[in-house]
Parts: sequence; structure tokens; C-alpha cells
Amino acid sequence: MTTSSVFELKGSTFALPVLRLLGTDQEALSQELSERVHKAPEFFENAPLVIDLQAVRGRSSATDFALLIGLLRSNGLIPVGVRGGDKEQHEIATSMDLAIMSPGQPLPRRKPEQASKALSPGHTRLVTQPVRSGQRVYAAGGDLVVLAQVGSGAEVFADGNIHVYGALRGRALAGVKGDTTARIFCQTLAAELVSIAGQYRVSDDLDDGLRNKPAQIHLQGRRLRIAPL
Amino acid sequence: MAKVIVITSGKGGVGKTTTSASFSVGLAQQGHRTAVIDFDVGLRNLDLVMGCERRVVFDFVNIIHGEAQLHQALIRDKRNPNLYVLPASQTRDKNALSMEGVERVLEELQDEFDYVVCDSPAGIEHGAVMAMYFADEAIVVTNPEVSSVRDSDRILGILASKSRRAELKLEPVREHLLLTRYNPRRVENGEMLGVEDVKEILAIPLLGVIPESQAVLQASNTGVPVILDEKSDAGHAYEDAVNRFLGEDLPHRFLEVQKKRFLGRLFGG
Amino acid sequence: MGLFDYFKPSEKKSASVARERLQIILAHERAERNRPSYLPKLQKEILAVVRKYVEVDQEDVEINLDRRDDCEILALSVTLPEKEEPKAQRA
Repeated sequence: MTTSSVFELKGSTFALPVLRLLGTDQEALSQELSERVHKAPEFFENAPLVIDLQAVRGRSSATDFALLIGLLRSNGLIPVGVRGGDKEQHEIATSMDLAIMSPGQPLPRRKPEQASKALSPGHTRLVTQPVRSGQRVYAAGGDLVVLAQVGSGAEVFADGNIHVYGALRGRALAGVKGDTTARIFCQTLAAELVSIAGQYRVSDDLDDGLRNKPAQIHLQGRRLRIAPL
Repeated sequence: MAKVIVITSGKGGVGKTTTSASFSVGLAQQGHRTAVIDFDVGLRNLDLVMGCERRVVFDFVNIIHGEAQLHQALIRDKRNPNLYVLPASQTRDKNALSMEGVERVLEELQDEFDYVVCDSPAGIEHGAVMAMYFADEAIVVTNPEVSSVRDSDRILGILASKSRRAELKLEPVREHLLLTRYNPRRVENGEMLGVEDVKEILAIPLLGVIPESQAVLQASNTGVPVILDEKSDAGHAYEDAVNRFLGEDLPHRFLEVQKKRFLGRLFGG
Repeated sequence: MGLFDYFKPSEKKSASVARERLQIILAHERAERNRPSYLPKLQKEILAVVRKYVEVDQEDVEINLDRRDDCEILALSVTLPEKEEPKAQRA
């Protein structure tokens, strides 16, 4: 009979989205959060999340905290830890079975699909590596610039515009939160699907004259227009 | 009420997706309303083999998570109005398939279809278990080769103990052996396990033997399931297998080395 | 068999070797699979109890389930160490 261990312990790094609390107004928070989640439910569903308390040190109480956790959970998020809070806040977090994460650890590089899911607004996200099949890259609150190809089966999406300086063979969704002025630019159009503010077109419906050529995609009224660049 | 058929094998690369594609086309050709589901979440390929990858909008995981309606995600096959494809998601992992979600989708499909074909991922992990749990029938795709036969045996064990039919103590899942990549010449030379060997070891009824064929690669290259290739032995073998599945009693073909072809041609035989 | 095969020394073909190997390994695996799922746990717990009194290794406790006709026989065998020094008993 063999004797084998029932588990092994290994170190592993995860890139988790961080919710940076900027204020403690529960009502405003509740409203803003449900709006965001509503616009990209898929992104938020069952997503583990770390709460950054740096900006609200000494400003939130135990009840605030309980409400916040409830709010996140009711929106489908799974808070797993906090960081950057004061001693009291960390004690409350511990009592609620949340982990205390060490503050400001650099996120692991070379993982373009998750490297910065942080919700900081107005930011352009730059990806220099190819986005491969199965990977997803999201530029929250801004534009996405990809300096390589987006492979078939990959998904890039942004609240703003998407630029792909390479072949776009996967899916590209710009203006995912409803920005109808968002555009997609790419050097070689071979996308499986392109979408702006929810209007989409699949590969099969692409004009053959535009295929494999530089193109830009934008909305004209409610119609998706694809034009050569 | 539709029959749920799982195409499974344990081992990867033995021809599950090729079989799922050809088998569902074959069922549809016989007039049965058929849906084929890709359970290989994260490594989706059925859409490529079926040639509908350019029409994918929503996928199986979207349906399970309630992000789209089933009819939005089902892709109607361009060649056959009886056939629909439900693609897998490429950007999720297999744990995105919940038991309740899969059950709900299958129930919804069962009202509209005669057959629901589930293309299982390789392995015996979550995705594979989800694909086979609700099965009424299982087609176990096996290559005449030791590791494939052993893995098939493992899968048969799981079907017999962990499927819904097993857990509810219903009539067990009907098992069918489909031997693929069969090379009669190598069998004759004693380099490959023969049909009888595999049948004896696995002890389940033989549904068909698909000869090793260039046509299979060509079929997936072009996105036309090999059953539609009227010139290939593999295509005919799949057709036979479908007809056997539907109750016809057909002799197994392509088990012998094609001999005397040259002379046969010379004398017009 | 081809004509030239008559002149070769008879050696076992790889397919028949494969067949034999499969038959052996599958017989073994099927037997393992049919064991009730509680056996490993049972073994562990019995081991824990035995260890309270005697120093034994995991391999020294063997549990087998045999099926003879209609009846199942659970056989437990504990190999005790050569020179046994009883541990202090806990109350």
C-alpha cells in the first residue's frame, strides 16, 4: 500500500482587483458599485477582491465595515482581504475572517490578462505582450493599447477606445460601459467579434473587402461602421 | 424528451471532438433535431471543427451565468437546419460550469431537441464530470493503444458510479465503444491492438471502428466534419456508427487491410 | 503471416504484450475502484488507535475487503514490531 501525503503546500501569486475606498458614504458607494457591476456583470461575478483602506484610515467604524462587506457580497464580489488600514480597521477585518494583505506589493508582471484590474479611472492601459487565446485584458475607466497581436480566442475590452498595433484575431469590445464614442483601431482586422457600447458584429458578418486590412470601427447612430484606415 | 449522449474518453487527442462533430451531423442528417455542446471550457475547439467559429457571440458559460438566452447562443449549422452548436467559452475555466447550471441548460434543450451531444474535455476533472453526469448514453472514444484503453476503462468506472443515473440508481448509462485511428495494417503486423483485443478488455458493445485517415485532419482544417466527406473511409465509418446507434444492424467495415487493390483495378473487380 | 515471417525467430509482437499488460493493470485497478470509499479513512483511524498502544507504520496496517459469494469479509491485519515496548497508556 502506498503512503502519500493528502496535500502539498505551494506558494502562488495571484493578481487580484483592488477596491480603493475613497470615501465612507455608504449610500454613494452602494449606488456607484451597483452601476459599475450592472455594466459589466461578467467581470465582477464571483471576483475575489482586496479592499484598500489607505485613503480612509481612521475614518471607518466596525458597522461601516460590515455594511461594506455585505454590499460587495450582494453585488457578487468576494472580498478576501484588506490592506493599508489602521490597526483598528485591521482588527475588525480579522474578526470578519478577512486576510490582512501587505500593502502595495508590486503586481506580478508578464500576466497581461490580469495585471491591473484596479478600478482607477481615466487611465490608459498598455499591453506589450501578445494577448493569447483564453486571456482577457480589461482597461477599466480608459483606453487599451496593445502593441502586439490579439490571438483568436482572446478577449480585450475597455471602457474607452481600443488600439491594437498588430493583428486583431480575437474579440474586442470598446465602450463596455456604454460610451458610444469609443472606437476600435487595428492594423489587421480578423476579429472574431467587435463591439462598441453593446452593438456587435461577428466575424462571419465582416465585409470581405475589409478583412485582414487596417481598420477602425465606430458607431454611427446605432449602427456599427467598419472603415479602412 | 431528448437523449443526452456524452462523447468521452479520458485521454486527450483520441478524437472526441471529431466524433462529436461527425456524430451530431450524422444524427441531424437522419432527421433528428440535434444540439451539440462543447464542454471543454477554456480550450474550445468544437466550433472550429464544425466550421462555425466565425459566428460565435455567446457561449455555454454565458448561458449558465444568465448573461444570455439559450437561443442567442445556439448557432444553427449552415449545412443542416436540424443541427445547432453551443460553443464553449475560451476565456473561462472549467469550474465556471456549475451542476445546477448544466442541468438547467440540458433541461431546456431537452424540450426542443431529440439528441443532445456533449463533447467532453479530456481528463476526469470537473469539466469531464459535468459532461458525463447527465448522460443517458456514452460513446467512449478509444484508440487501439495501451494508455487510451486504460483511460477508457477508468471513464467507464466513473460512468458506472458517479453519473446521475448511477447515483439515482436508474438504469445505467448505455455504453458504446468507438475505436478510432484504427490501422488494419499495423494490427495485422502485430504492432497495434486489434478490435477484438479492445472489445474483450473493455467489455462493452462496439459501435464502430473509424480507420486512421488523412481525411480527418483535412476535415478539421476546413471545418467540415469528416462524415460529410463522401470519399473517405472515415466518413463512411462514422455514418455506419450513427446508423448502428439508431438501431440498424450493420457489419463493421474497414477492419481488414485493403489488398489486391492493384489487381482488382486491372481486372475491373 | 507473411512468407518472411517463417524465417524469423518467433518473438512476441508488441500488440500481444500490450494486451497482456493491459489485462493485468486493469484487473488491479478495477479491484481498487470497487473498494468502498470509506476504506482509506477506516484504515487511518484504526492506525491511529493502534498507534496509541503500539508503534507501527502505516504499511503495517492492512485492510482488505473480500467478496465471497454473497458475503463480504473485512480482513484487518496489523504487523506488530519485533520487540514491542508498550507506550505509556493514557487514561
